[in-house]
Amino acid sequence: MTGPRDIHAYLAEFEDIPGTRVFTAKRARQGYHLNQFAMSLMKDENRQRFRADESAYLDEWKLTPEQKDALLKRDYNRLLDLGGNVYFLAKVFSTDGQSFAQAVSTMTDMNFEDYTKMMVAGGRSPEGQRSIKEGR
Amino acid sequence: MAIITAGVASSHVPLLGVASDFGKDADDYFGPIFAGYEWTREWEKAEKPDVVILVYNDHASAFDMRIIPTFAIGCGERYKPADEGWGPRQVPDVEGHPDLAWHIAQSLILDEFDMTIINEMDVDHGLTVPLTMMFGKPEAWPTKVIPLAVNVVTYPPPSGNRCWALGEAIARAVASFEEDLNVQVWGTGGMSHQLQGPRAGLINREWDNMFLDGLIGEDDHLRRIPHIEYLRETGSEGIEMVMWLIMRGAMGKRTRALHRHYHVPCSNTAIGHLVLRPDNGEGLDMTGSDTVHAIAAE
Repeated sequence: MTGPRDIHAYLAEFEDIPGTRVFTAKRARQGYHLNQFAMSLMKDENRQRFRADESAYLDEWKLTPEQKDALLKRDYNRLLDLGGNVYFLAKVFSTDGQSFAQAVSTMTDMNFEDYTKMMVAGGRSPEGQRSIKEGR
Repeated sequence: MAIITAGVASSHVPLLGVASDFGKDADDYFGPIFAGYEWTREWEKAEKPDVVILVYNDHASAFDMRIIPTFAIGCGERYKPADEGWGPRQVPDVEGHPDLAWHIAQSLILDEFDMTIINEMDVDHGLTVPLTMMFGKPEAWPTKVIPLAVNVVTYPPPSGNRCWALGEAIARAVASFEEDLNVQVWGTGGMSHQLQGPRAGLINREWDNMFLDGLIGEDDHLRRIPHIEYLRETGSEGIEMVMWLIMRGAMGKRTRALHRHYHVPCSNTAIGHLVLRPDNGEGLDMTGSDTVHAIAAE
């Protein structure tokens, strides 16, 4: 065994990573219907129905009002807070015709052009991004 | 007897599939990425593996939140490319090797790895992009494939140590298969990348290269890296690199590197690629073969 065996200690460490929501069981439970809604967009007929009337399509799923609102606004950081997982939310990006990088950039404080420049220049440095407590 | 002759590690960024499918693989952005795979494409033509055990993760394609297997082995006859939201990739179907796959599944379970067995599923970019990178655009894939899917999406994923040990058990299983087969093990995903939240875009060139170094030779310290280190150092999706350790575990005690490639960026991700030969006296030097000349010319 290479990590903590105590699940509480294991999970507690995840809260110390800046700007990151680790997809824990708690988030998986909170976002179950949100993520399953996103999965439904893998079928073309569902994508068409969703595009035709997003609000009506979302009402078919057991979403909270906050999840529905965040989906309609494509507020991906909030969707992560409400239990969304990026690989599931990617079905929404694709339905919108957005690339992964475009959608991902909306979660940062940069526009897509500046985000792309940062990636081409070698990406975001891990310096100061590893630990909130230790500031490293 | 079946024998594991090589290990291949590679990122599996979906955009690489798009670049290949739409003929952009030689442009200014993708050219340097694909150039690092040209050596491997030539080498694979000489190696002619019969079967690739392809370790990858499903990205909410075949498995959704209803079923989350930690380790799943594909024992089916064939697999179709998945529709990931923009229609399936126009690449060949993937042909399985049910005889070897079932043999491995049974052996692993007796060896105390409680595998999930999959007979029907579609395979997403995690599996088809590595095939594209290693084989280009053939009419049919030149090898059979045993998909081995690992959960790296819902926490906790398996530990690095467990992945390494699974690779060791796969090697024991392959060695007890009667038919003469040339088998490769591929580990895919990574390297550093984060696709979510304000920290998205994180890349750690230094750590990635430490990881590549650690796969070569006799050192086994990589198996003891805890999840929290992947998360802090390589971004939330860098955890995919535990899958490379299944490949490394299958190589036995010692490896040598035949080819190495690293490039930043591809979309949000650092591209890493490594070709390894098990180096435990197996006699896989293939002196006089085209492969050896190609390696010597490197």
